Amino acid sequence: MPEEKNPDPALTKEQATGLLQTMLLIRYCEEQVVKSYARGDIPGGVHMYIGEEAVATGVCAHLRIDDAVFSTHRGHGHAIAKGMKPEKIIAEVMGKATGSSGGRGGSMHLFDPSVGFYGTSGIVGPSILLASGAGYAAQLAKNDRVGVAFFGDGGSNNGAFHEGLNMAGAWQLPVIFICENNMYATEVPFTYASKSPSIACRAQGYGMPGVEVDGNNVLAVYQAAGEAVSRARAGNGPTLIECHTYRTRAHSEGMRDTGYRTQDEVEAWKARDPIKWYKATLLADGTITQEEIDALEAAMQKTAEEAANFARKSPMPDPKTVTDYLFS
Amino acid sequence: MAFEITLPRLGWDMVEGSLADWLKKDGELVKAGEMLFTVEGDKAIQEIEALDSGYLKTLPDGPQKGEKVPVGTLLGYLVPEEELAEFQFPGQGLEPVPEQAVAQPAGLPLEKPAPAPVDDRKRRVYISPYARRLAQGLGVDWQGIHGSGKGGRIMALDVEQAALIKQKAAQPAAERHVITPLRKKIAEHMAYSAHTSAPVTLTTEVDATELVALRKALKEDSAITGQPAPSYNDLLAKLSCQALLEHPLINARIEGEEVVQMGTVNIAVAVDTERGLIVPVLKDVETKTLRQLARESAALIERTRSGSITYEELQGATFTITNLGMFEIDAFTPIIDLPQCSILGVGRIAPKQVVVDVETEKVAIRQCMILSLTFDHRLVDGAQAARFLQRVKRFIERPYLWMAG
Amino acid sequence: MRELTFTDAAREGLAEEMARDDMIFVVGEGIGARGGNFNTTVGLYDLYGEKRLRDTPISERGFTGLCTGAAVLGARPVIDFMFLDFELDALGEIINQMSRLRWMSNGQVKVPIVLRGGVGLASTGPHHSANLFSIFMHLPGLHVVVPVFPADAKGLLKTSIRMDDPVIFLEHKKLMKLKGPVPDGEHLVPFGQASVVRQGKDLTIVGISFTVIEALNAANLLEKEGISAEVIDPRTLAPLDLATILESVSKTHRLLVVDEDFSPCGAGAEIAAQVMEQGFYELDAPVRRMNGAFVPGPYSPPLEAAVIPSAQGIAKAAQALMVE
Repeated sequence: MPEEKNPDPALTKEQATGLLQTMLLIRYCEEQVVKSYARGDIPGGVHMYIGEEAVATGVCAHLRIDDAVFSTHRGHGHAIAKGMKPEKIIAEVMGKATGSSGGRGGSMHLFDPSVGFYGTSGIVGPSILLASGAGYAAQLAKNDRVGVAFFGDGGSNNGAFHEGLNMAGAWQLPVIFICENNMYATEVPFTYASKSPSIACRAQGYGMPGVEVDGNNVLAVYQAAGEAVSRARAGNGPTLIECHTYRTRAHSEGMRDTGYRTQDEVEAWKARDPIKWYKATLLADGTITQEEIDALEAAMQKTAEEAANFARKSPMPDPKTVTDYLFS
Repeated sequence: MAFEITLPRLGWDMVEGSLADWLKKDGELVKAGEMLFTVEGDKAIQEIEALDSGYLKTLPDGPQKGEKVPVGTLLGYLVPEEELAEFQFPGQGLEPVPEQAVAQPAGLPLEKPAPAPVDDRKRRVYISPYARRLAQGLGVDWQGIHGSGKGGRIMALDVEQAALIKQKAAQPAAERHVITPLRKKIAEHMAYSAHTSAPVTLTTEVDATELVALRKALKEDSAITGQPAPSYNDLLAKLSCQALLEHPLINARIEGEEVVQMGTVNIAVAVDTERGLIVPVLKDVETKTLRQLARESAALIERTRSGSITYEELQGATFTITNLGMFEIDAFTPIIDLPQCSILGVGRIAPKQVVVDVETEKVAIRQCMILSLTFDHRLVDGAQAARFLQRVKRFIERPYLWMAG
Repeated sequence: MRELTFTDAAREGLAEEMARDDMIFVVGEGIGARGGNFNTTVGLYDLYGEKRLRDTPISERGFTGLCTGAAVLGARPVIDFMFLDFELDALGEIINQMSRLRWMSNGQVKVPIVLRGGVGLASTGPHHSANLFSIFMHLPGLHVVVPVFPADAKGLLKTSIRMDDPVIFLEHKKLMKLKGPVPDGEHLVPFGQASVVRQGKDLTIVGISFTVIEALNAANLLEKEGISAEVIDPRTLAPLDLATILESVSKTHRLLVVDEDFSPCGAGAEIAAQVMEQGFYELDAPVRRMNGAFVPGPYSPPLEAAVIPSAQGIAKAAQALMVE
């Protein structure tokens, strides 16, 4: 495991607190979704981001509204970190008309271009290509926007990874590739799918820097992401960042949690919960007080609950709209 | 707020399951994350964690262990400590599961189908859709049509033909006869005359009062003597003959490159028979008396009508008289019977008011008649023909003049 | 009017559009300095450079996904696949992403992108002869354009580039050198407008791409037999101008659809079904389809000739249809 980094002295209290706030909001919203799923409020499948909050938070903290993020099936965290409103996310997951896609997509098709979020996705791999394309468009338009692709250890073995990183490297595209290595692609261990234990080292084959970080250390992620974003904005090309992290719930809600992994392993990672660690870190160096933490937690809990209630009360979509927006 | 414990959905297509067992006792304090109950789903028994903390209150009349219930069915509550005292199970029975209204797929707008013709499939006859529509429009019963398409299918072409046949059948049948030889001959002869001669018709109105008187007198006399009375045609033949003797060119004919002056006057009189127009000939009229002519013409007409007229009796005419007066015809344009030079058409005799003296403006009722002379302008000029006709007119007006010879 | 080849006319259209909008760029293998395998981009690299005439590695899926992302973020890519057969590697990106992003996001994003590829048999063999019109016609979210004549190649390519939605632009190899009149000045051809290229009264022949030319040749043969064929060039398959075809069938009452792509489930099947549904009472005979044989495109000339619909074959089929 890479070394845990200490809090960056360059972070202001506001920034530091902001990171915690985002992680808490993601956690509480996801818990609302879990409860909703258990109640039968969600027609389809959902893939929880619980345990991986530090990655989305650390990366998106560097992004502007006009930077483009392309995500995966496990993307609620990316959506929230990029600035999507929780009520739109939860309503979409429930298939409601007030959802970000009017109920057409559900969990895996969340879109909000107004905050630069260009979609969770049901297909693994294309986020890499799409984000590269966003970088290409920025080059054409001669601005310093960046594209960011989130994908998992499973996605790193997809052809899109090879083709996308190759082109991004060859053309020096302003993209950041974030691989969330949570050790399992659904239930297939990464060690079974690849001979090389490191994904980050593949970057060398494409002529770009490859960085490995502790994905449960929000500051480490923040640091690495910051360097990558700066590099891209400066026109110095793409970066691959491999974040080691873990999802403490099943691949998708309702599926078994263990069997392909042991309960002990799950518990061990729960002990390394990113929020727990960060709260302790902030308290330890006096950046924040317990009261402030409690207040923040209460506020985020409230936001999450309100979002879920809004979604629950929202109407279903009108069937007559189903053929809208096929063409411009 | 008490937290509702409901039957969870394990696997996205699970719709029902059963509570296998509670892992905590009713009234026990449960912490979030602890295993709370087990559920039997489609595939296996799974342990379910508590998602909240509180005191467990199982629903007294809730689902029993092993009882299959829908996903989302209320099983109990986790009640926070502060609410425990006043806690009550709301109402009784199951909390209604929020409606999962599945959006029906929008009815995609269908194009309006073309209106179908009436379905009549009494017999298995194949017809193309267009042909059937055509048949309806044309009012054709297509069931009986033999189709020329593949497998005997009725096509538009077949319907169109059937409609045409039907149309023809609806028209009244016309009678058909083969042209008789006589008619054919007449037709040829008439056409030949029209195309060959240069016919001009002169007309003149004649005061026939004296002729009428003469005829009357002759009839009265015949009644006494028993001799046949000369008819108008006989009279006209005699006086025409006299006029022809004075105007011999009218009694001539063209034969090839020659003008042939006839030596005698043979006058044909047109007779209407059932078989058509026949013109028997009075031969050598200049040598015959009126009485003789009367006898001869009566015999000829009789033979003509009975069909026993001979070929010779129809030959040799140099002039023709055709009388349509009995049909109330006034004037007409008779066709020359070539190779004759002319033909005299005779109209009816009818009383008319006539000026007898212009000076005194005296008017009287006279018997009038119109003569129509068609002559062949190749042979004779207008003035010559007019002089001849004028002479004929004079003889009719004063019949005694031709008696002079 | 001046005469250009299909390829030159299309290129003229591309050049005009690229001059008009900086965000239009072309990607493909060899479309940079080389000017494209089929001369689709000759001269443009010198004008606009590598960012807008991007030579790609052999990564069809990759650059298709990349261009999709670029289109979402405001660029207007034209992907030049060279052969439709190569485009197939990118079907996942085309179907799952490109064709669906607008709909999935409830109209929040748009994907203005043109995918060009050469189609059809031309002694090109089993990996370079695909037609596959119906596959793309079948997918919601895609336009499918099949120009035949040079003026249409230019006008339709320009319209395709200006569309805010994905367009599959298929160019038959045998049409590339076809010469035809091209109007001066701005020339745009709208989608969904078929062209009656030959008037007739006895039967309607709808061709697709190159078979329009063969249908015209067949019509000349048929004229000698006293059969007057009306030939229609649909120009775009999605949207399809059914109204023009129906109008023709209501005049002739017989329809033959000729498609070099194989059946079952060729584009002709869809046209036949739609005419059957909406013009049933105009039909005096069954709608007949003529397709390429149900095999991949062969290499040797006599084999190829046996596979594709020829003018003689079309004429024979038309004659059979007349007496059916």
